[in-house]
Amino acid sequence: MSPKSTYNRTLRIIPLLFGLGWSFLSLSALGKEDPFAGVVPKSSDAWEERDFFTDNFAFRKELMAEFGADSLGEVSSRQSLGFEVQKKFSSETATLFSVDLQARLVRRDGFTDAPNDMEGMTRPGWSFEVHNAYLDLYNPFGGVGSLNLRLGRFYLPFGLNLSTDTHGSLLQLSNEADFGFERDWYGGVWGAFGPFLYDLDYLVGSGYDLVFKGQRGLVAGRLSLGNRIVSDTGLEGGFSFANGSRLSMAGMPVETLRGGMDVRWKGAGPAGSLGFTGELALGEDDQASVSSQLAQADYLHASRTWGFSGQFRRAAREGGSPKAWVLAEATWYFRNDMAGSNLQWLKLNVRWPLEGAALTGATLFTLQYYQYW
Amino acid sequence: MRSILSSILAGILFFPTQAFAAIGCTLNNPAEDLKYLFPGMTSYREELKEFGKLPDGKKAFEGLPARLRGELDPVYETYETAYTVYWAFKGKEKLGLVHGVNVPGQGGVIQVFLSLDPKTGAIKKFFFQRLESPAASALRAKAFRDKFTGFTLADFYKHDHYQDKDPKNPADKVGGIILPKTVSGKKDLQAALRGVRKNLVLMDLFVFGGMYEPFFERAQKVGAKAPGGKP
Repeated sequence: MSPKSTYNRTLRIIPLLFGLGWSFLSLSALGKEDPFAGVVPKSSDAWEERDFFTDNFAFRKELMAEFGADSLGEVSSRQSLGFEVQKKFSSETATLFSVDLQARLVRRDGFTDAPNDMEGMTRPGWSFEVHNAYLDLYNPFGGVGSLNLRLGRFYLPFGLNLSTDTHGSLLQLSNEADFGFERDWYGGVWGAFGPFLYDLDYLVGSGYDLVFKGQRGLVAGRLSLGNRIVSDTGLEGGFSFANGSRLSMAGMPVETLRGGMDVRWKGAGPAGSLGFTGELALGEDDQASVSSQLAQADYLHASRTWGFSGQFRRAAREGGSPKAWVLAEATWYFRNDMAGSNLQWLKLNVRWPLEGAALTGATLFTLQYYQYW
Repeated sequence: MRSILSSILAGILFFPTQAFAAIGCTLNNPAEDLKYLFPGMTSYREELKEFGKLPDGKKAFEGLPARLRGELDPVYETYETAYTVYWAFKGKEKLGLVHGVNVPGQGGVIQVFLSLDPKTGAIKKFFFQRLESPAASALRAKAFRDKFTGFTLADFYKHDHYQDKDPKNPADKVGGIILPKTVSGKKDLQAALRGVRKNLVLMDLFVFGGMYEPFFERAQKVGAKAPGGKP
């Protein structure tokens, strides 16, 4: 063998030796750096327990203590204890229907027209109030989400109230002032099509009690932005209508026509989150023109332990003087669960009349302690 | 009347709270979202999950900080918090499950939803239902969210080791998740990562029966940091 061929062979072996060495070092390194080699997921049966009270069943309690005082010397007290029961019923492959019952035992002394207690005017002393009592039937005709049925008592399908829990809050949306009630007994359909949600219902038009006293009831509905738009942009909004007859606060039938639009945006703000809400409704009550406007701004600190709100509201009726108020509210949260299902707070609300004879024309202070758990 | 009222009040106040649940992070419109995630879906079923209903719920809850590598948030992560799991079906076949969690971000709540493979628990899709953040557009970007596809809880437990011992190891999939340098709101990236991890940990507990516990145990054995570190 010539020296040249020996040299060439050596040249060919060197890379091979390097390769082998590198592989050895790599394998050693891998062995050192992969302590998870050989670890595999264990197979185990998922925990499963189902009976009436463990399968999609929720029971919550509610405690509220509210005190009001106005600049004319009127004082009020509203104390209540309540509960909410929710239950969903399912087959092995589908959630079929759900029921919700929410009620309060209330004691009222005095009346100051607190922002969340319009009905208190006619309910001195003890009363038992049913707030929600409804059945939702999901996809009864097949498909998924396009058509569901609702029967019972719930928020009016007008404006933002269907997507806003005002059960415990002091600040309310427009419906109670506009229609005389924010909830009614009704049956109808709801669902989604494309990027929109819809609600279409027949309402008894009696508000608090399920009674017919000459009113025909109302047909009402809302077309609103779907939740993907809400998730992507923070923007909610919709158009609503209501037509028919309802009972007034005095228990008399009122021919009612309403058209409304609403919008709400929620997003990040300085060290917290911001929300802006607007509702507008126009129409007729017994052929007299009526209108209402609401604008609200909310701030919640990122700690979710305190926040501020401000609200402007105005209502006008043909032949009467318009009424307007501005409200300011501070809230201290002791518990403020994300889903609004474990709450404890103290609120101080002040309402100033701006225009017209707003019931008493007085500045009203309301202090509320609320717990929901 | 007074005795009846007293009975009602006592009954409500002393009703055993732990037997019931407050509903946590839920889809705003399950049908719409689930159809988008599982186009072939013919039905869906909701299931409420709670630590209080687990056979050893207290112990499982106490084990959360170690699995999350951080202390629990007193507002967002309580023992009473309930979780809704959505199962999507095509006929009787399970297509997948969807679950969401809340985590605190710079601008408020971040709601992190995952759709998971019903057998392996691997991420099929990751999306935000609610995100109030200066980094919102970067976090919502499909290219960013797609990086999580196929991740399992094992990848997070492995990350604990790689982060401490070998930060640049390419096998650390979670460590490879970064946002462009120009994006502000990096804390929200950490919050989103914690949300994904918390979501997987909870589903491992509630749905998959601790399938990925061997990876957690191995990570502990090889000396991953004690709770308090970042996810």
